[in-house]
Amino acid sequence: MKEILEKLKILADAAKYDVSCASNGVGRKNKGKIGNSSASGICHTWTSDGRCVSLLKILMTNDCVYDCKYCINRITNNVQRASFTPEEIAALTIEFYRRNYIEGLFLSSAVEKNPDYTMERICKALELIRNKYGFSGYIHVKAIPGADNLLIKRAGFLADRMSVNIELPTRESLKILAPQKKVEKLLLPMKQIDNCIVENKEVRSKFKSSPKFVPGGQATQMIIGATPDSDYTILQASQSLYNRYNMKRVYFSAYVPVASSPNLPSINTMPPLKREHRLYQADWLLRFYKFKADELLTIEQPNFDLDFDPKISWAFRNIDKFPIEINKASYEELLRIPGVGIKSAYRIINQRKVANISYDSLKKMGTVLKRAKYFTTFNGKYYGGIQIDPDKIKGILRQKEIQKQLSIFELA
Amino acid sequence: MNYLYDGSFDGLLTCIYWNYYGEKISGIYNVNQYQQSIIENYKIIKTDEKLAEKVYSAIELKISKQALDYVYYCFLSNNLNKENYILDFVKIGFKLGKNTLDYYSHDKIMPIHEIYKKVSFERHRFLGLLRFSDIKGILYAKYSPDHNISVLVADHFADRLKNEKFIIHDIKRNLAVVYSDSSWYLTDFKLKQSIEYSEKEKLFQRLWQGYFNQLSIKERKNINLQFQFVPARYRKNLVEFNYTVDSLQNI
Repeated sequence: MKEILEKLKILADAAKYDVSCASNGVGRKNKGKIGNSSASGICHTWTSDGRCVSLLKILMTNDCVYDCKYCINRITNNVQRASFTPEEIAALTIEFYRRNYIEGLFLSSAVEKNPDYTMERICKALELIRNKYGFSGYIHVKAIPGADNLLIKRAGFLADRMSVNIELPTRESLKILAPQKKVEKLLLPMKQIDNCIVENKEVRSKFKSSPKFVPGGQATQMIIGATPDSDYTILQASQSLYNRYNMKRVYFSAYVPVASSPNLPSINTMPPLKREHRLYQADWLLRFYKFKADELLTIEQPNFDLDFDPKISWAFRNIDKFPIEINKASYEELLRIPGVGIKSAYRIINQRKVANISYDSLKKMGTVLKRAKYFTTFNGKYYGGIQIDPDKIKGILRQKEIQKQLSIFELA
Repeated sequence: MNYLYDGSFDGLLTCIYWNYYGEKISGIYNVNQYQQSIIENYKIIKTDEKLAEKVYSAIELKISKQALDYVYYCFLSNNLNKENYILDFVKIGFKLGKNTLDYYSHDKIMPIHEIYKKVSFERHRFLGLLRFSDIKGILYAKYSPDHNISVLVADHFADRLKNEKFIIHDIKRNLAVVYSDSSWYLTDFKLKQSIEYSEKEKLFQRLWQGYFNQLSIKERKNINLQFQFVPARYRKNLVEFNYTVDSLQNI
């Protein structure tokens, strides 16, 4: 039994840098013996780095034939190796799930022997979980680039979401850090998955009862800060992934140094968490706020301001569009106001149907007035108190930030 | 006149009925928690299911189904003044009609939104934070939520674990949801003796603890953030926050 724990530790450790934890997007009642899936996603616990744990995230094996410089499992790295059998994976998933430790399984793998061998074992594990145990909960699986199309298809009918990691945003970066991986080889399975999804939709429009292929869509992940690529490059790459392969999510992962190489940042570098945060904010703006990548960054200004979030930075550059009248603006316009989120925009629209909105009532709706007040009017009245000028607003917001930090120090 | 009710939802609705067809209410209080006022007289209201049913469907028809949900969630909250917030909300709701909830910042409506948010947030949290252990084939989970959410989480687990038998035990209120053979009920519940875990159960707890321990990326450590997501008061019932280094090694 000690052996299982050791394996679990090794193979969880090797998988933890994969950031996807989402279990959302698929709402499904229990159609088998055990398990359902909540459309809004459920987090089960949080680790000491504040990341949510939703899925049992493990590798089938960390025994890899590749030598990617940024990866802890590369063949030349001296780490303990372990492999799970498909039955072990299945039993562990079900027992954890029964106890409500997890929302489902995230199964990935290093490439052991060759892509087909690895993908075959992944399929076996999924078949056991779905067919033998009758599991109806959430499964996210990695497609192994280079594996046979039939194997990828087989896995896709068993999983809710599939992903292939693009790893790095440009061809050049990939060539330097992952010489054995070719861009085409990474993009091919994405194309395959997307094709299967489209094909499956068509089949299901005629035959409703035919099985679903990855109902939760596909996702991918990029490493941030291992290469000199700018935020602009990263955001452009992510936008084209959304558009070309119908991605549900593009994840960013701040690079945590796991190796020294002349081509990598020094081993003592801290992961660029702030930058990762700004990229996620931008990603959010692309997906839910109807922004375009080139509105947020340009070739001349290729990186995010770490002091201000991408939305307020956009507002500073487009100050002529402000102030916006809260009682007249459309939903799309409301979403562009710094400090107004999706929920508060929705509440504003709803309340406007029945009553006028005053400055005081907006505060109660969850709007961040300390930002929004500089960009809005209420029945023609402006409450910002200063000229609508980016430098002046920046000055005041910076000052507030400093005061906040000072008060934290005093407490300590 | 202060109205005192027995603490049940029907009791509360009965009070609201009498506000319209009897003496006007100045406040509604739980009879077990009431401290007598020197100014106001009080009246103990007998719960009447038929009258409650009338108010129940009036809220649903004259305001909305959603408003009824909000009222019920509020009733399950631990807010000390919830009865009066609900009364105020229902009174204004009968005037404003089906769009009542859209008057978000109205001072009689906003408290209901806020309390609803708290209760539904805790409910959602415990869909993830509840931990079962396998006691001779029955899945048993104990927890002590801030709000009385057991009936709100029951359906979720009844679907998810439909072939199991389970007990969700609120140790703060001595209540439990008991599920078997595709139906559940709520009952008063106390354990007679402490629970002995089997070797197999201990094994899976340790596997989970070992797994959880391994997941943190130390370069990204952020304990404050972790406390925001998993408040200290929830941790005593979470397997992954209760282990010693020894227990992990002695498998």
